[in-house]
Amino acid sequence: MAFNFNWSPLTADADFYKRAQEMLTTALNKSPKPPIIVDDILVNELNLGSVPPDLEILEIGDLAEDRFRGIFKMCYTGDAFLTLKTRVQANPLNTYLFSKPSFTSPQPLAAASGLTIPLQITLSEIKLSAFIILVFSLQKGLTLVFRNDPLESIKVSSTFDSIPFVRDYLQKEIEMQLRTLMMDELPAIIHKLSLRLWCPEYKAQEDQEIAAAAEKPEEVAIDPFASPPQDAVDSRGNVVDASEISSLTLDGGSEIHSLFSQKNLIRLATLTDSHRTLSLFTPSIRDAVFRAWAGPSERGDSPGSSTPATLGLIRSHSALGSSSTTYTFSNRTSDDGHGVMSSRSSQISLSNATTGLHLGAGRHSRSHANRKKKNRVVNLRKSKTTDDIASESGDSETSSVAPASEPAFPTRPIPEEPEDNIITPPHSPSGKVRFRTSSIDLGDSPRKLKPSRPANLSSMTLPEPASLDSTPTIQKEDAVIVPIYSRNHRPSLSASSYPMEKANNTTSAPLNASVPYLEPAPMLSTDGASAAGGILEQAWILKMAGEIARRAHDEKTAREGFWSSQSQSVREDTPPPAYQPKA
Amino acid sequence: MLEFMDYVQHAFYNASHWNYENSYSQLTATARGLLDFETPRGLRLNVSSLSSPNFATSYNLGSIGVVDGSLSYLYTSLPIHATSQSGQIDLHEVIRGYRQIQELRKPEESWMWEEWQAGKRIDKRDTLFYGRLYLPQSTLEALYLRRISPTQQFKLSAVSDSRLRNGATILALHQYDTGKYSAETLYSTDGGLIGLRGLYNFGPDPRKEITELPRVEDRLYGRFSAGAEMYYGSLNKSGGVSFGGRFATLPAHKGVPLTATLTLNPLMGNMSTTYAVRAGKNAALCSKFDFNVYSYESDLMLGCELWRMKTKVPKKIERSMQAKLEWILDPVVEPTVPEPEEVAGVLKARVDQNWKIGLLWEGRIKELMFTLGSSFDMKRREQPFRAIGLELQYSS
Repeated sequence: MAFNFNWSPLTADADFYKRAQEMLTTALNKSPKPPIIVDDILVNELNLGSVPPDLEILEIGDLAEDRFRGIFKMCYTGDAFLTLKTRVQANPLNTYLFSKPSFTSPQPLAAASGLTIPLQITLSEIKLSAFIILVFSLQKGLTLVFRNDPLESIKVSSTFDSIPFVRDYLQKEIEMQLRTLMMDELPAIIHKLSLRLWCPEYKAQEDQEIAAAAEKPEEVAIDPFASPPQDAVDSRGNVVDASEISSLTLDGGSEIHSLFSQKNLIRLATLTDSHRTLSLFTPSIRDAVFRAWAGPSERGDSPGSSTPATLGLIRSHSALGSSSTTYTFSNRTSDDGHGVMSSRSSQISLSNATTGLHLGAGRHSRSHANRKKKNRVVNLRKSKTTDDIASESGDSETSSVAPASEPAFPTRPIPEEPEDNIITPPHSPSGKVRFRTSSIDLGDSPRKLKPSRPANLSSMTLPEPASLDSTPTIQKEDAVIVPIYSRNHRPSLSASSYPMEKANNTTSAPLNASVPYLEPAPMLSTDGASAAGGILEQAWILKMAGEIARRAHDEKTAREGFWSSQSQSVREDTPPPAYQPKA
Repeated sequence: MLEFMDYVQHAFYNASHWNYENSYSQLTATARGLLDFETPRGLRLNVSSLSSPNFATSYNLGSIGVVDGSLSYLYTSLPIHATSQSGQIDLHEVIRGYRQIQELRKPEESWMWEEWQAGKRIDKRDTLFYGRLYLPQSTLEALYLRRISPTQQFKLSAVSDSRLRNGATILALHQYDTGKYSAETLYSTDGGLIGLRGLYNFGPDPRKEITELPRVEDRLYGRFSAGAEMYYGSLNKSGGVSFGGRFATLPAHKGVPLTATLTLNPLMGNMSTTYAVRAGKNAALCSKFDFNVYSYESDLMLGCELWRMKTKVPKKIERSMQAKLEWILDPVVEPTVPEPEEVAGVLKARVDQNWKIGLLWEGRIKELMFTLGSSFDMKRREQPFRAIGLELQYSS
C-alpha cells in the first residue's frame, strides 16, 4: 500500500493562496491581541515553499474509500514563509500601562503617549515537529488535530530587528500567537476548507451567504419566507403548509434551516424510487456516492412484490425500506412514520374494490423486481451543469420538481430498454400497454417509475381524497397535491409534449390550485390512470421526501454531535468517529 | 465626580496642608477634568459614611451585565472634619473641572510639627490607611499614605489580583514639595519601573519673605511652571521621557482665567497642547491638540463644562418667642452678603475629531448626588450609542 502526497498541486491552485490568506487573517484577528498590536493583522504574503514536510505514518485506524483515520508524525523544515502586516505601538511605556491596574499605575503625564508604526513581520525557517491525528470522511470533511505543540522554532524578522528588546518581544509574542493558531485555529480552518471541497451543500450554503452579504440591498428578495417553496418540509419530514410557513420567522433557528436546505430531497426520492421500481432511469446527483445493494435485504423485496399487490404492498415497502441503499428509510419508528403507514393501510383496504388494473401492474412490478437483482454501484460524481439549471427552474413550482427536472437530463442509452419493451406489453391490458410502450419508446424514464411502484396504488385515486381527512399527515399534503391534480386537466400526457407541459405547469399550477380534487378520478382511462399514477407518484415522492428530510435531519444532528460527543450510535453508513486522545 | 474615598483622601491632604496640585503629574489637571472625564457605564450605587472623623466606609454596587461591587474602609490618624453628608457637600469639591491654581503657600517648618510633653517628643506623623476589596473579582487595593515631614509624603499603593503576573503589584511614591519646586521618586515592582518627576515654579519663592507686591495690573498675572518626568523599566529595559510646561493665571488675575499647557515626548515625537479658559462664571472651554512628528498622526479634542446654579431657598424665619411675648414682629435683618448660589448641576461635553462624543450631567437630587453620562460614536451611524450609565452616591 502506498500513499501519494502531493505538495505542489496545493500551491498550483491560484485561488488557494487567496483563500488561505483570508482565513488566516480572520483567524489571527479572532483571538485577543497583545496590547502592542493596535491594528488588525493582515496576511500579506503566504508561500508554502517547495519542500514538503516529512510524514511518517504511525498508525492507520480506519481506511475506506470515503473515510480515513490515522496518526502521523510530521517534521517540517521547509522554505515556507509568511508575511504579516499590522500596526504596533512603539512606546513600550504605553503597552506597559495597558491592562495594569490604574491604582498602582505611575500615571505618567506624557511619557506614555502613543506612537503607532506600521510593521511588517516575516516568519520564515519554520521548524515543525508534531504528531498529527487525521480523520477524514467524505461527509464530515477533514479533521486534523495536533497531539503536541507543533512549533519547534521559527525565525521572526521585522522592521525592528535592530532593537533587541522589540525583537525579543515580537519573537515571544508571535511564537505564542502561532502556538494558539496551530493548536486551535488551524484545525478549524482545515475543516472549513475541506467542507468547501467535499460538501457541496456546505459550499452552496456558504456561497449563498457570500451572495447575501454582497447584495445586501436585495436582501428582501432572498428572504426565503417571501416566496416559500410549496412543498416545504420540516425537519421531521412533515409537510408544512403555507400558514405555518408564514408564521415562521427568519431567525427561527436550526429547524427552519433544515426546512429549506433540503433542495435535492425530491431528486433523492426519485432516485430511491428508481431503485425500488426497477426504473431504468437513475437521476444523477452530484458528488454523491452510492453503495452497492446489500444482498439479503434486496432479496426481501422479490417476495413482497410477487404477492398479490394489495396485500404485498406494505410488506414490499417495508422490505424495501430496510434495504441498504445509502439512503435507507429504516428508521420508521417515529410517530410520523406510523402515521404514514396507517394511512397507507387504510387506503389499501379501500382500494380492494377497484378493477383488475393493478394486477397487471403488479406483474409488471414483479418482472422489474426480478430483473433488478444485480448488484450495482451507482457512482454519480459527474458534475452536470444541466441538472443544476433544471432543478433551479423547477424550484418555482417545487411540487413538480422531481418529474420536471428529470427530462432535462440528457437521456442516456440504457441497455435494458429493449428488454423492458419485450417484457412489458404482454402482461398489461391493451389500453395500458399502449401507454406504457409509448412512454418506454420515448426513453423518458420518469414516467416509467409509475407503473411498477404506484401501480398497486393506482386504484386508490378514488378513495384517496376521501381519506385525506382521516389522517393529519395526508391532510397536510393537500396543498402540495393540488398542483398535481391541476395537471390532469391536460387531455393527454404524451411524453413528447412533456417539456412544454412542464414549462406550462410551472406557470399555471399555482393558479389552478382551486381545482376540485375529485374531478378526474371516476374515469379510469389511460389518461386517468396515468394521472392517478402521477398523483400517487407525487404523493409517494413527497412521503419519501419527508422521510429523507427526517433522515437528513438525523444525519445532521449526528454530524453536530460528532464534535461534541461520540455517544451517538454509529450507523452502518456513518463514518467512524473522530479520534479522541485518551487524556 | 470624585468617589467618596477620594474625597476623604483630598480632605486628608487639606488637613495636613499638602499641596496636591503642585506636582508634575497634575500639570494638565484642568484639561483632564474637562476632556478626559469618564462616562459611567451601567448603574452604580455608592453608599458611604464618615462614621467618625478618623474612619470612613464605603460600599459600592454596580451592574454592567453582572452585579459587582466593592467594600472599602479608610482610617486616618488625622481627624478629618469635612462635610460628609451628600446633601451638603459642595459640588465644586467633588466635581473636577477647570482647576484654578492657587498662590503657593509657604511650607510649614518642621519644628511646627513638634509636640513635646515632659521633655519627650510625642508628635506622630499623620497616616492614612485605605483598603478596598472588589467582589466577585477578588481584587484587593491597599493604600498607605504617610506625611513624613511638612515637605515630604510617602505613598505606597498595592493591588493584589490573581490575574496579574506576579499576583500583585506595589507602587512606592515619595514626594517632596517645597512650594517652589517639587520632586517625586517612584518605584513599581511591575517591571522594576523607576521614575523621576520634577516641577519647578517660576516666579517668587514662597519660602522667602515677599518684598514687593505682585503687579496685578499686568495684562496677564499668572505663573509659569515647567517640569519633566523620566521612567526606566529596569527589567524590560524600556523607558520614557516627557517635558512639560504650563502657564496659568492666578486668582488675583483680573481678566479671563486661562490655563495653557504644552507637553513634549521627545522619544516618541509626540507633542500635546491644551488651552482652557473660564469663559464666564459658570462656563469653561477647553481644547487639546496632539501631534506626532514621526507618524504625522494628530488628534483634536474639544470640551466644555457648564455649571447651572440656583439660588438657595431662603430659610423661613420663625417668629421668635421673645417677639411673640412682646406682641411685635421680629426686626427685619437685611442680609449683608448675598447668599452664595448653590450648584444645581454641571454639564460636561467633549467631542473629538472622530466624532466621539461624551456627555456627562452631574448634580444632586435631595440627598443623592448623581452622575448621568453617555458616550456616542457618530461614525457608527447604525448604533451610535456606546455606553450609558448612572451613578448614585449617598454619604452621611
